[in-house]
Amino acid sequence: MAQNDPLNKKSSISAEDLTRLSKEAEATATPSSRQIIWKEFKADKIALTSAIIVVGFILFVIIASFFIPAGSYKAVNIMDYFNKPFTPDFWLGADSSGRSVAKLLIVGSRNSIGIAIGLTLISGTFGIAYGLISGYFGGMTDMIMSRIYDFMLMLPTLMFIIVLVTIIQNYNAITLTLILSLFQWMGSSRLIRSRALAESRKDYVAASKTSGTSNFKIIFREIMPNISSLIIVEMTLAFAGNLGVETGLSFLGFGLPNGTPSLGTLIANATDPTNITQYWWTWLFAALEIIVLCLAVSYVGQALRRSADASQRLGDK
Amino acid sequence: MWKTILRRVLIIIPEVFVLSILVFLLAKAMPGDPFTGSINPHTSLAHIHHLMKINGLYDPWYQQYWNWLVHLFHGDLGMSYEYQEPVTRIVGERAINTLWLAVFATVLTYAIGLPVGLYAGRHQNSRGDHAIRMYTYVTYAIPFFVILVMGLWIFGYLLGWFPTTGSIGTNVGSGFPAVISRLQHIILPGILQALFGLVGIVQYLRSEVIDATHSDYVRTARSKGVPVKDVFKHHVFRNSLLPITATAGYSITGLLGGSIYTETVFSYPGMGLLFVSAINYRDYTVITALVLMYGVLSMLGTLLSDIIMAAVDPRIRIE
Amino acid sequence: MSLIEVHDLEVHYPIRSGFWNRVTDEVLAVDGVSLSIEAGETYGLVGESGSGKSTTGKSIVGLEKPTHGQVIYKGKDITKSANRQKLDYNQDVQMIFQDSLSSLNPRKRIEDIIAEPLRNFGKLSKDEEKLRVLQLLDIVGLDADALYKYPHQFSGGQRQRIGVARAVATNPKLIVADEPVSALDLSVQAQVLNFMKKIQRDFNVSYLFISHDLGVVRHMCDNIAIMHRGRIVEMGTRDDIYNHPMHIYTRRLLSAIPETSVAHREEARAKREAVEKEFQENQQRYYDKDGKVLPLLDVTSTHKVALPADEVAKLQREAD
Repeated sequence: MAQNDPLNKKSSISAEDLTRLSKEAEATATPSSRQIIWKEFKADKIALTSAIIVVGFILFVIIASFFIPAGSYKAVNIMDYFNKPFTPDFWLGADSSGRSVAKLLIVGSRNSIGIAIGLTLISGTFGIAYGLISGYFGGMTDMIMSRIYDFMLMLPTLMFIIVLVTIIQNYNAITLTLILSLFQWMGSSRLIRSRALAESRKDYVAASKTSGTSNFKIIFREIMPNISSLIIVEMTLAFAGNLGVETGLSFLGFGLPNGTPSLGTLIANATDPTNITQYWWTWLFAALEIIVLCLAVSYVGQALRRSADASQRLGDK
Repeated sequence: MWKTILRRVLIIIPEVFVLSILVFLLAKAMPGDPFTGSINPHTSLAHIHHLMKINGLYDPWYQQYWNWLVHLFHGDLGMSYEYQEPVTRIVGERAINTLWLAVFATVLTYAIGLPVGLYAGRHQNSRGDHAIRMYTYVTYAIPFFVILVMGLWIFGYLLGWFPTTGSIGTNVGSGFPAVISRLQHIILPGILQALFGLVGIVQYLRSEVIDATHSDYVRTARSKGVPVKDVFKHHVFRNSLLPITATAGYSITGLLGGSIYTETVFSYPGMGLLFVSAINYRDYTVITALVLMYGVLSMLGTLLSDIIMAAVDPRIRIE
Repeated sequence: MSLIEVHDLEVHYPIRSGFWNRVTDEVLAVDGVSLSIEAGETYGLVGESGSGKSTTGKSIVGLEKPTHGQVIYKGKDITKSANRQKLDYNQDVQMIFQDSLSSLNPRKRIEDIIAEPLRNFGKLSKDEEKLRVLQLLDIVGLDADALYKYPHQFSGGQRQRIGVARAVATNPKLIVADEPVSALDLSVQAQVLNFMKKIQRDFNVSYLFISHDLGVVRHMCDNIAIMHRGRIVEMGTRDDIYNHPMHIYTRRLLSAIPETSVAHREEARAKREAVEKEFQENQQRYYDKDGKVLPLLDVTSTHKVALPADEVAKLQREAD
């Protein structure tokens, strides 16, 4: 392609012009759709506040939990049995073993949020890839993948998770996240699949094929960016939902291994009739925290959806 | 249409088959032998071996699976090691309680969901619509078990309006007082389950009605001078109500999954609570039976909805 | 030797029905098409929508898998994907699409769009690549500031130029142009057609020009094939088709070219009605009993037509 390239003869542009022209082009570059979404999102003050609260809170529990040694929230202390909240030693009171609810709450939040994030990333990645592949290839591949999907949807997943958790003897946060992911990836697959199906019919995909781009690259580099706003929205909403998955399991007693605090185990204190009324501080703070967190995250998701629609309006026409 | 339905019915056979294998393998993978609960330290090792042998636990897995399947078809789900009773009987007792609750919750879901969804759609952006949207957003975002706990706390304990545990009061005897007591016990969990379940219906109906309002055929009817009320009655409702009723079958999956939480929170002796205690006691004949039952019920529910959908919506029937 | 030869190409889509969803019938999108394209020429493929012309074009670039037949390029059958890979086939055969908006990825900047084939087929450094993209933009008449813009910021005609720039990026030997101008305004059509011609002169590229519009094809093509119901009804040089049309379907298409002068309006209309009447009444003469197009027979060395043998013999005598 080098010397006898007809382009060099037919175009007046030569290597000397390169820097100058690149600069010119950069000066008139267009903002990407991501920038438009961000601009729209910033305009929604409630959403922005929610996002800041969520991110700030997550950072706080992660950092704060470093300063709480495992011994200080695990040790049983009979003297502080059901210590009342809002006292200098126990801001949020103590539970039946005299452990500080505030410390349990911080460490439990870190564990629960961490698992929810991990679950969202793992199951989201798998679910999105599943939907993209199924929609892109279509035909037989799609039919088989859809059958498996429908089957998974009908499984009593909560029961399967509980049984698996009891079967696997020594599990930790990571194995738990993986088990959960096995049954939680279906969330947005169908939506992604139908979008991928529509995208793969468009001519730009055909153009990429004739340009010698591989299927794998077309799926993840050509089609995926076109549904990236949908993916971001779906992942955010899935995160809100996933906060309830591990906590729900821990609430039933099948979540994190015994002795590992979680928001769910704290709320499980409410299953005791005396705790729920008399010693309300043992569970209510955790319940309120989860409510606020879930509401904030899903509000952010909804706002992102609106901004993504707006960017479609403003940008792509 | 019959072909579509028949083909759909046939698909369920391999599905149930795969489910049964999964459930069986899960049961096999459970730790410990099933006699752990019923033997004592004095039981001799030889006796345990004997128990294992007569229960076929030394056979290869496919043979055990086959035996299990044959028993299953005879309605024999084995003995519960914890209760020392046939599993069918234990599950049967509990199933009735779960059924009561599920029927009550479903009726309530539709009784509230349909009018609310239609209202929100017809009065889009009104104050009522905003309140309804707020409600669906909040309920949808909060985990179900947290809603249950908060409901139990507020309405069961703080306000004391409803009983907080069990399915029937103590010493109520039988007959009419028993029915009243049962009803009292399912009202709160039923309402909470319905409040959670109706979110989907409300959202679906609302957007259906809004879409229909802006569709050309409704505009044509309006421009011909048909009153708004009649347009809704004859066009919009008919088009959106049948599909929404058809989703009742799909909701069985969610309803059953939710029953585990509901029954745990309210100590309501149904299948969900039975499952949790069976897990704790490693009572794996019961576990297996319940997982299988929940799976099959979900599949039947989905089948039912698919069939209604095919009957209602001509687009699904087209081959 | 021809640049590319298509032999008896068939693309059939299965129709599934019945209880077991078995294949019970087939849609014959393309049903036995043979043609050959010479280096540097523009070959017109004309027909109504659904005639199979686009499917033929897509089979030639390798986007559609034919059920039967061969496409021979450099002595290899490129309907097999292994052969396409071996030859780096799409470096030599590229495509321009009808819908310019849909054919450009809305999330990619123009630079990345045009560079895509370069990145896949060549090994250029970052600067070399950018220079080449700038040159390509220059050739299709766009400024350098297009580089970092997105497709939606351009007009239909400009987008089609970008599509052409991408297609010529790898110096291809053949470009399949699938209705490249039918989505554009008439005034813009002429611009795009003219620079496609210019590019043909500069790069010595062949076009397979697919269109439903015989008016446009006349200005572009050296050889023309008319397709109907998945088969070719008539093929020949421009002169053969425009001045000696033999098949009723060709004449029907020709009579559908709009008459611009008001004076001949009535005349053109009478002619159009006469052709339509003959087409309706004499179907069985031009098509077989299933409504399929007859096999092609030679009339002259360049001109082939799908008519019954006795009719062709008569035409041959007339031609001599």
